[in-house]
Amino acid sequence: MALNRKIAYIDLTSGKIEIKSIPLEVRRKFIGGRGLDAYLLYNHAKKGCDPLGPDNPLIISGGILTATLASATARTHIMAKSPLTGLLGSSNMGGFFAPELAWAGFHHLVIRGQAEKPVYLFVHDGEIEIRDAQDLWGQTTTETQWSIREELADEEVKSLVIGPAGENLVRFANVMTGIKNSGGRTGMGCVLGSKNLKAVAVRGSQDIQIAHPVEALEYNKRFIDQITSSKVNQTQGALGTPFIWGATNSWGGIRTRNFQYNQLEYADDVEPERIDEIAEETIGPYHMTGCFACQVHCRAQYKIPSGPYAGKYDEGPEYTSQGAFAGEPDCKSAETVLTGNHLVNQYGVDNLEIGSIISWAMELYELGILTREQTDGLDLRFGNDQALLEMVHRICTRKGWLGDTLADGGVPASEKIGKNSFDYLIQVKGMSNLHSDERATPALALNIATSSRGSDHLRSRPAIDLYHLPEKVLRKIYSSPVAYDGPLSSEHTSYQGKAWQVFWQENCYMAVDCLGICKYHTLFLGTTLPNFEDWPKVIYYNTGLEFTPREIWDVAERGNMIERLFNLREGLTRDDLKKGDTLNHRYFDEPCRRGAPDVVGRKIDRDKFTKMIDEFYQHKGLDPKGDPKPETLLRLGLENEPSHLV
Amino acid sequence: MAQKILKIEHEKCTGCRLCELVCAVWHHHVSNPARSRIRIVKWESEGVYVPMACQQCEDAPCAAACPAKALSRNQETGRVELDYDKCIGCRTCVSVCPFGAMHFVPIDRKVIKCDLCDGDPQCVRFCEVKAIEFVDEGDLGRHKGREAARRIHSADKKAAELQSG
Amino acid sequence: MPVDDKKQSTAEDLRKTRTYGKFRCHNPSCMGRLQPEALQQQVKCPECGMEFRVHWIRPDFPRIRGPVWEVNRKLADEAFLKLEEK
Repeated sequence: MALNRKIAYIDLTSGKIEIKSIPLEVRRKFIGGRGLDAYLLYNHAKKGCDPLGPDNPLIISGGILTATLASATARTHIMAKSPLTGLLGSSNMGGFFAPELAWAGFHHLVIRGQAEKPVYLFVHDGEIEIRDAQDLWGQTTTETQWSIREELADEEVKSLVIGPAGENLVRFANVMTGIKNSGGRTGMGCVLGSKNLKAVAVRGSQDIQIAHPVEALEYNKRFIDQITSSKVNQTQGALGTPFIWGATNSWGGIRTRNFQYNQLEYADDVEPERIDEIAEETIGPYHMTGCFACQVHCRAQYKIPSGPYAGKYDEGPEYTSQGAFAGEPDCKSAETVLTGNHLVNQYGVDNLEIGSIISWAMELYELGILTREQTDGLDLRFGNDQALLEMVHRICTRKGWLGDTLADGGVPASEKIGKNSFDYLIQVKGMSNLHSDERATPALALNIATSSRGSDHLRSRPAIDLYHLPEKVLRKIYSSPVAYDGPLSSEHTSYQGKAWQVFWQENCYMAVDCLGICKYHTLFLGTTLPNFEDWPKVIYYNTGLEFTPREIWDVAERGNMIERLFNLREGLTRDDLKKGDTLNHRYFDEPCRRGAPDVVGRKIDRDKFTKMIDEFYQHKGLDPKGDPKPETLLRLGLENEPSHLV
Repeated sequence: MAQKILKIEHEKCTGCRLCELVCAVWHHHVSNPARSRIRIVKWESEGVYVPMACQQCEDAPCAAACPAKALSRNQETGRVELDYDKCIGCRTCVSVCPFGAMHFVPIDRKVIKCDLCDGDPQCVRFCEVKAIEFVDEGDLGRHKGREAARRIHSADKKAAELQSG
Repeated sequence: MPVDDKKQSTAEDLRKTRTYGKFRCHNPSCMGRLQPEALQQQVKCPECGMEFRVHWIRPDFPRIRGPVWEVNRKLADEAFLKLEEK
């Protein structure tokens, strides 16, 4: 059954491997996935440990529902102390890795130490081997995966790998599986690189008993029907996530030229419909693919239509690649987006971070803060597609002064570049913001400011805030499973009740990450997607464990609090621009200049924003400084952490 | 009564493997692709996914080769059925099946094959993109012909558009 | 039975509020409901004047492809000018 999947502790320095069961008590407290990862990290990482040293535990996991009969139980979660931010490192990816890990008998791998020479792990049916990877070093992400399959003579092996960026310790290198599934954020690939760990290969054929199989099949049919019937997911299934970028750009919520504008105008060539046409032209009418057991199929397949990489097969692009290679650097060519997407996938680097950081460098270059000497002669102005792609190569291989500097991440780079370069860096807690512009949407601004892994939209974004839902509907959604009778506003520009929405979403997304399912299968972009009330059924039918919606909420709140405790231990303070819950000054000082008439002129009100943070802290049970109140820890059963239950 | 078979259009397959999952759960009450009667064969570097399942052959090589006569064609349902009471587990059927649709499961030490879930194939029921459908066996050619005709027709239309400029 | 299968969840219950064939104006505070004619390629919001290009995912499922850029730019510049005058 799902509940008897194990935790493996692997020490790469000594080669020692220890396999342990997960006590039921731990399951009830953390469920699995990200929540349990956070617990493991808090317990096994030493305060202030070097993120690139042997003491940083790297944790790879699936959720409690991984590979069971629920929809899209494909997600793999990766956690460690981040070499990009020095705070919580956490990343999540789709594909087929986590289910294979579960069939191999494991839910969590905790990898410590540092191998002397490049190695990879091979996890198969209850066993774990540390194997030589010297021949794999230097290979791209896909080459590595195919080489491992060849070596093991098994095409069904699924691997989580790093590419050259991870080997070169680019601080925002990602981990990848398949063609484009990426655990992109917070530099988890860099942690693998520091451990000389090129890959984790898995292959499993162990049974996962389904507790109530007949009911699970029937309920899953209804669950899938609910998920695929949503208009948002039908659009995803046709156009992929680029549709989100397209819709957001349409009204003026896409940051452009680093942060100077909020819309990429005349962007017809990079609109989702155009990308879709290219996929259709190069692949055919059925060019959408999906992750394990998911019927939304939001990932496009394509071949690069023109240019030096013409004919190369890849998947995506996701909205983050549109942001990175179109919106932020002010480029408007599908070829650039599709090529950039291919390059980041092959190098194994976070497209979001690299796009953001290059567009920051472009603004610095145009302002004269970066000189042409520092760019090694590259004309790094906005809209220069060739310079943009060249910078991707340079950062991933640490070539040239600027490539090497930017590869260390925005905050260290700003310290090296000096002058007032930091003022232009659009980041929170040392991690670059998504390509979206939150100046017209206070709720979304609060979300990125307080997200536990640094600026991020997948931790607590109440994306439905833009739909102007009637208050009655909002109340129905946001007052369950915990009663809430405070204010709620349909108006996206309002500051009323937004803190509660962000708090609710934060718990919703944590729960999703504990279950191991995809965020497109919960209340993220669509209001009719399942959440707390629906999950007890899937959990019960598949695992036999009984949870109430409220209990799942408590687990999620507990997981989020453990992440907070980790961040506080590593130095998070409320107003610290580099390590706090706050935003770049431009959010408060510079108004939006483009987009729909109603968006023009919008910026965040600093006083109201501060009050919103106060309110958010109150919901979370934190004091005004952002530290948990003793009674909150007591309520969540976290008063004795680290408690070392596993 | 008309007999029904699986119609597989691999172009439509997204490669998600939900069919493998529901197959294993329906038959064995577990999640384990090693127990699935249908398998998605993939060439990931090209994005090609092909679902492979038993074709319920008229003159089935598995039945012809089975030394224990455990495999036989049920004339009424049109399915090639496996009688576990007779099966000796020699795996000859696995070697001779031209589609690789017979599988040996090491956990149980038994071969498995598609039984069309007694007439309600779960792979069909759960495949939203309709890469697998359950159709009357006489209609398979008609369906395929219609799709081919649609492709030719749209190609003709496109050519005409190009000509008229 | 620890879970009630018959009862609809909030998510399931909200399904009845869904509308097809329409979309909402992308001007966030306007959000007027727009219903394009079959396969119509462009639509103007009667409430706020924004104009949008339309993409049809299916013949019964339209979505906004993006604004009509000239119109959008003009409206944005006017709005910005008004703010500066204040």
